[in-house]
Amino acid sequence: MSKKLGSVLLGKLYGGGVAREHREWRGVKDTWYDYTEWLKTWKTLVTFTAKPNNIKGFFRYRWMLNYLAVPDFFDRHTEGMRGTQLRMAHMGLGLIVRDMCDMVTTIFKADPEIGNDTKLNSKIVLFDENMMSEIMSGFPNLTWLSVEVPSIYTSAMMSQKGVSHYLDVCEAYGIPSDVCPMPAAELGVVIDNDFPKIGKCAVQCNTTCDGSAMGNGIQSQFMDIPSFQLAVPIRHRQESVQEYAAEEIKNAIRFIEEQTGEKFDWEYFFSCMKRFNKETEHMLDWFDISTTDYPQMIGVNLALYRYGVYQAAGGRNEEFLTTDKKLSKLARDAFNKKELTVTEPRHRAITWGVQAAYYTALPVWLQNCWGIVPLCDMLSLVSTKMIDTEDKEQAMLDLAYLYENMIMRNRSNGGYETGVEALWRYCEYFHADMVIMYAHMGCKAMSGYHGLFEEEARKHGIHLIWVTHGLMQPQDASRKEMRMEVNRYMRTVLREEPLDPSLEDYDDSMCW
Amino acid sequence: MKDLKHLYYFENLLQEANNDLVRQAVEEGKTAIGSVCSQIPEPLLNLPGCFSVRLRAPRTGSIDMGTYYMTSLLCECARALLERALEGGYNFLDCILAPDACSQMNRCVENIEKLELCKKETFFVEYADVPMKSDETALRHYVRQMKEHLLLPLHNSFGVDISDEALRKAVEEHNEICCLLNEIGSYRKEENPRITGYEFAVFCLASYACPKYLLVDKLKETVKELKARKPDKKNRFRARVVLIGSEVDDLDLIKLIEESGAMVVADRFCFGSFPGRELIPMNSSEDALLQICRFYMTSGQCPRFMNTEKIKERKEYVDRLAKEYKADGLIYQQMKFCDYWGYERANATHIMRETYGYPVLSVDRPYVVGGSGQLRTRTQAFVESIEMKKLQNTIEKGGAANE
Repeated sequence: MSKKLGSVLLGKLYGGGVAREHREWRGVKDTWYDYTEWLKTWKTLVTFTAKPNNIKGFFRYRWMLNYLAVPDFFDRHTEGMRGTQLRMAHMGLGLIVRDMCDMVTTIFKADPEIGNDTKLNSKIVLFDENMMSEIMSGFPNLTWLSVEVPSIYTSAMMSQKGVSHYLDVCEAYGIPSDVCPMPAAELGVVIDNDFPKIGKCAVQCNTTCDGSAMGNGIQSQFMDIPSFQLAVPIRHRQESVQEYAAEEIKNAIRFIEEQTGEKFDWEYFFSCMKRFNKETEHMLDWFDISTTDYPQMIGVNLALYRYGVYQAAGGRNEEFLTTDKKLSKLARDAFNKKELTVTEPRHRAITWGVQAAYYTALPVWLQNCWGIVPLCDMLSLVSTKMIDTEDKEQAMLDLAYLYENMIMRNRSNGGYETGVEALWRYCEYFHADMVIMYAHMGCKAMSGYHGLFEEEARKHGIHLIWVTHGLMQPQDASRKEMRMEVNRYMRTVLREEPLDPSLEDYDDSMCW
Repeated sequence: MKDLKHLYYFENLLQEANNDLVRQAVEEGKTAIGSVCSQIPEPLLNLPGCFSVRLRAPRTGSIDMGTYYMTSLLCECARALLERALEGGYNFLDCILAPDACSQMNRCVENIEKLELCKKETFFVEYADVPMKSDETALRHYVRQMKEHLLLPLHNSFGVDISDEALRKAVEEHNEICCLLNEIGSYRKEENPRITGYEFAVFCLASYACPKYLLVDKLKETVKELKARKPDKKNRFRARVVLIGSEVDDLDLIKLIEESGAMVVADRFCFGSFPGRELIPMNSSEDALLQICRFYMTSGQCPRFMNTEKIKERKEYVDRLAKEYKADGLIYQQMKFCDYWGYERANATHIMRETYGYPVLSVDRPYVVGGSGQLRTRTQAFVESIEMKKLQNTIEKGGAANE
């Protein structure tokens, strides 16, 4: 008992409080592995907290409180996992956490209110959250940072109500409550004076949506540093926009050069892009495995790790490629051994639309409760085009294409072909029979296709399950309400019984 | 004031998207081009043999079907347009030339296209990527986009003349309409204006919704009529406001504001005359398309322009208008669910109030507002607050004089 997948009634872990009733017993080997990884997480956190700047930062910034929930974050995202899956989760997410700790440490070191390292500050270029960092791969002497990532993006993932305060601040300023909560919360941090005032200059981008572009504009008014707005074409599938996209990238590079006095280092850039290309190859290998009956790198293991590699690491951090190799080996070995990721895989699903930041662990629940295998998520289905590492002009065009296809914006922008049609192609590629359709209430770009999704899903014979959520605002649609929508479909349309009945209805409204 | 001779005629035209003048132009064999955004230069849609109609959904009732396709969380204007298309209201169109500007309007057009709601056999939709910044790089992009996604499709599908001369002629005709409207609108500057904001808005809106060449005569007559028109002895308005914000094609909003006591002296919104009816300056040395695009890019006041200079410029522009038209206050309005104006309205409300010192009313609204008691109450309260402020200023000045 317990060593096997699905041998524990996981819903029993929830007693209605902030933390679970007790830790999950996964059999001796896996429990020991999980426990040692849990200790490592604490070691990372204690090492982080031991630095005086970080302690000051902890008391200065409200959003830092969310990081008390890091160990719980791991538990949530490894629930029910055994063997290879468990190891992949700790390996990938563990690296993300360490990378995040380094980023926050650097932020506090440079922060005039805390470490006040002016030399470091003069080398920092702030990037907009949701904007990939690859341009900075040409500036080895500069530091790329995004304050919004730790303050908002990952905060909301750690603790479900982690950014509600900033949304309130934003609404009190006058921003309507119907806009996407992500740029709204980011703006809330700025208005609330909880945005570390660091950096020599900033680059902002029209990343995901209209709201995001607008939030940036107001943010720039509050920042005391020069900012450049990178306007990436919206209709990014058109050939006629590529030249302009590359020109804009060059303009951004020129801006950074002018502000920092640094020169774009092509040699370093190419070496980073070679690494980035190798990372893309690994991802393609994982996708390849996911088309078979024994998918391995799936669900949260793929999604959360891939965001870090693709957007933040940008080929500059060797450790990500090393981890990629390890993950690929684990995945290939498990595939060869025909390991299953759930006791009884009943449906092969793609999650489409943007996931709820406060419930990134939903795919884990889908696996455990209903045997739905979340093969891939929309945000991971980004550009797989390799960056040219010899021809400078071509490299700029490739880099521009990469920016046009950043996470989320590659689907929210670009029109019907990218937002809707691509989904059916991926369903075919992954042999998926189901789509978990995240309906983020503030995402106008995807909501505009609602009827077309329904009609097309019927035509393609795909089960389309709508899961409504509020992205960073669980008050709008709680985790439980999200699960209820899946439950309803599974019960009434498919007439199936859950694999783990204890997970069908439980209360986690008070949890982190 | 005595009623303007053609006002009723123009009001009637605005009751339908496919109105008498649109039908007349179609019967004359002209190509009907649907437009949904100010970022596609109007002269390019009004080349020889073509006329543009900015899509509207007048007398909108239920938008249930539009809501099914686009959910209840999207802008009502986009949903209403889709609903009208589902009802067959845009069957007269030969094409829609749309920018991918705001995602909600883009989705509306995509739904129209994918659901095949416009029935002409040759009907097509073309999307252009329009700039979000105002600089030389963006201008080159704009020109290319207009060439490849607007002029060439028009030429290839309908044989439209897209030569430099044709473009210049289109600008000339566009400017003629703008001149007439500017002359009509200039009377709003008067202390006791001989035209109301609503009356002007009727003429201005018609210029977006009807073939322009069919409006010229009546606008000329109106200009002549206005020269001799006498305002009421007592001005019925208690305040003068600039109306700013997202698209307004339901003139009941302006009527409601004016019934509440505030005259709309300047209209800085989509379908308004600022900057939409400003003259396009042309020189003979540069390419016509380049000049047109440059004008639309530099004069554009849509919050979609995201560079810092443009963000500042938008507030300065409103300030300039308010001064020129002697406005007592500003009304920032936004269609509910509009991301662009949601942010711009909130931010500008702070800046225009705190930095520029204007009283500002900041409201969001549905697409159809005529019966909104809440909006009426808020506008009335705003007018009263302006009056109170004026009174306080007078007392303070009087006090200072006595001292």
